Amino acid sequence: MVFRKLSSIFDAVISLFKGRSIEYIEIELRELENVFALIVLGSFIGLPSPPSTISLRLLPYMGRELLVMSRVSERLDDMLGEMAGLFDIT
Amino acid sequence: MRTVALIRFFLGKGGVGKTTTAAAYSINKALQGKQVLVVSLDPAHNLGDVFEEELGDDPVKIMDNLVAIEVDYDKMIRKHLKDLTEKIKDIYGYLKIFNLDRYVDVLKHSPGIEEQASLEKIIEIIRKYGVGDKAFDIIVFDTPPTGLTLRIMALPTISLIWIERLIKLRLAILERRKTISSITGEQFEVEITGKRLKVPISVKEDPIFKELTKLRDEYNWINQHLTDPHTTAAIMVINPETLPVLEAYRAVEFLKRINVPVTHLIVNKIFELKTIPDQLRPKLEEQEKALALAREKLPGLEVIMIPYLEKEPRGPDMLKKVAEYLSTIP
Repeated sequence: MVFRKLSSIFDAVISLFKGRSIEYIEIELRELENVFALIVLGSFIGLPSPPSTISLRLLPYMGRELLVMSRVSERLDDMLGEMAGLFDIT
Repeated sequence: MRTVALIRFFLGKGGVGKTTTAAAYSINKALQGKQVLVVSLDPAHNLGDVFEEELGDDPVKIMDNLVAIEVDYDKMIRKHLKDLTEKIKDIYGYLKIFNLDRYVDVLKHSPGIEEQASLEKIIEIIRKYGVGDKAFDIIVFDTPPTGLTLRIMALPTISLIWIERLIKLRLAILERRKTISSITGEQFEVEITGKRLKVPISVKEDPIFKELTKLRDEYNWINQHLTDPHTTAAIMVINPETLPVLEAYRAVEFLKRINVPVTHLIVNKIFELKTIPDQLRPKLEEQEKALALAREKLPGLEVIMIPYLEKEPRGPDMLKKVAEYLSTIP
């Protein structure tokens, strides 16, 4: 009985750590995808971009990156707040 | 049987005689029994005028062993954009977001498109006529004026820098996707217009990574061709005047940086007069100064001097006269 309780507490702790670690990796992944999209398609917003052949050849496969880029741009107003939340700064 | 053609680029400032010397060199080699293709990449074509033949996108026979092409720039840019946009339309078709046909006309004015399309054309010509059993022995490119030519030749190197960086970034993305997927034990998915699509987590299934490596292979292929001293040579053409010499010096330095071998310097239109009229004396002094400057600034290049001819060298017969001076270029 005690053993089962301990085991469930242990599982909860592990899933908590898993969740936290994934959260960090997910944010890092989102930012990497955002940067990738910005670099490849930067000319859309006036950034220098690679030779147009590279951008146009990659464009057809960049559905996810485009979504990420537009979602990140929606939240740009409160990026500081989001980062503060991530690092538990209140 | 030759499987890779020799490639010769004739470069120089506008009006120095690139087209004439490229045409004459081609005639020289054709007379030696080599199969020669000469291609004009200059948007302001005059290769046809020099040969006194109507030229176009398809090879036209000039004489035995020699055919010539004048690249149609508008057609080339249209084809380049069509190839790219067709692919986009195939995949984005169901989204109906882009109606790219309407934008093709605008895209042709986008910065850098001329260089891109020219490079694609060079690749196409080398692939079609420069490798394999039916390859020509020599492909001669008459190029646009220096600035544009250098940007075309630098494009593979610049593109490769971008591609390498993007590949690194892509690997970092895939690595993180894989990590998250292995922790959660779930597939990565994304919702696009209501459809749930699987997101690739490994290099084998990621189309972006595949496209990047494909691009890297293509640019490496052309870069190897452009930088191979056994097959490729850039030949600088100048007049005995200060400005063409200085421009040639800067071009040679640039080509060295991107590893394109430059082998010869043709000094075209040199005044060689038996009796010198007073009016021409200052001009001849300037010529001597320019020649001295060329020797100082461009050491290591084999120099070929071509005198100012009595008549404009047009048509195969007149070009044969110029061709005699160019027999030392392999």
